[in-house]
Amino acid sequence: MYSDHEMNRPACGEGMGCLPSCAPLAVPFVPFQPAGGKRYSQNDALNNGTLFPGLNLPFHVKNEASNVVSGPLAELQALEFVLLELGLYLDTHRNDEEAFALFQQYAALEKAGREKYESMYGPLFQRSTANGDCFCGWIQDPWPWNFMEGEGK
Amino acid sequence: MFVYEKKLQYPVHIKNTNPRLASLIISQYGGPDGELGASLRYLSQRYAMPYPELKALLTDIGTEELGHLEMIGTIVHQLTRDLSEEQIKTAGFDSYFVDRTTGVYPTAASGFPWSAASMAVKGDIICDLSEDMAAEQKARVTYDNILRLSDDPDVNDVIRFLREREIVHFQRFGEAVSLAKERMDQKNVYFVNPAFDK
Repeated sequence: MYSDHEMNRPACGEGMGCLPSCAPLAVPFVPFQPAGGKRYSQNDALNNGTLFPGLNLPFHVKNEASNVVSGPLAELQALEFVLLELGLYLDTHRNDEEAFALFQQYAALEKAGREKYESMYGPLFQRSTANGDCFCGWIQDPWPWNFMEGEGK
Repeated sequence: MFVYEKKLQYPVHIKNTNPRLASLIISQYGGPDGELGASLRYLSQRYAMPYPELKALLTDIGTEELGHLEMIGTIVHQLTRDLSEEQIKTAGFDSYFVDRTTGVYPTAASGFPWSAASMAVKGDIICDLSEDMAAEQKARVTYDNILRLSDDPDVNDVIRFLREREIVHFQRFGEAVSLAKERMDQKNVYFVNPAFDK
């Protein structure tokens, strides 16, 4: 386990990580992402596919600016995405208290956002139908793969 | 267990149909470096992993890959909706159509059906995590190649997102190797296999 001391070393700059000074031969090594680096807003995180600017390494072709996140579903997707991304980060950085505090904040935002979304647009989980009048909300179209005119990110 | 959430991880809204492009993108559904293999690789490797943070990471990334599988299926489905008689004769798609109509089937773009031979579960920490890092790179390159081949901005927006996820997962698997090494024999990480030797 990386010690707190090592985890909290000052970052070497965005896109840089920490390596121990001595490391065993013949094992793969990826620099550890330091704690406290820059983060995107939730909408920029969803647009870029990562919460962390230091890990945003796009390909040279077809890198046109992506659409702005808009609409209630995309806003919820952005909140859930930050939670997922922080969850993976915390799997390998479980002592990062600041990241966990952020995880807690986003979990609260996501919970409120999801309840509001479900009350307006229908259940996202089968069990959420119990909050309404009938089971029909779970069955009804659209399902996530259906093409819907006029929708988008 | 798994619980279904009736939404995608990232919005997919493909305005123009394009069966030729669908016949290429299907490779990330059931091809050698696709999302089906990714999810099954990580979710299957979990059982032999002795350390809790590795169990957590393989569970969480494996679960995210199932969401990516659904996104790729959605792209293929939307690219092939309402096809005309003329469109089903599109070179590249006709050979898919004859067997599957417009169903979404896990196959490589070459027509080779999804095979467990394209993934590995070795029951050894460093070996499995090295496989996972390579797998993320191979998926990343496949998405690079799709971006070279596709002119559809709606498709490319989603492919860019999925490609970036491969880079983040590579980083996390690399960190997982470091975390595992801290727990292993400090003089010789190959002295025993902690997934098997007690």
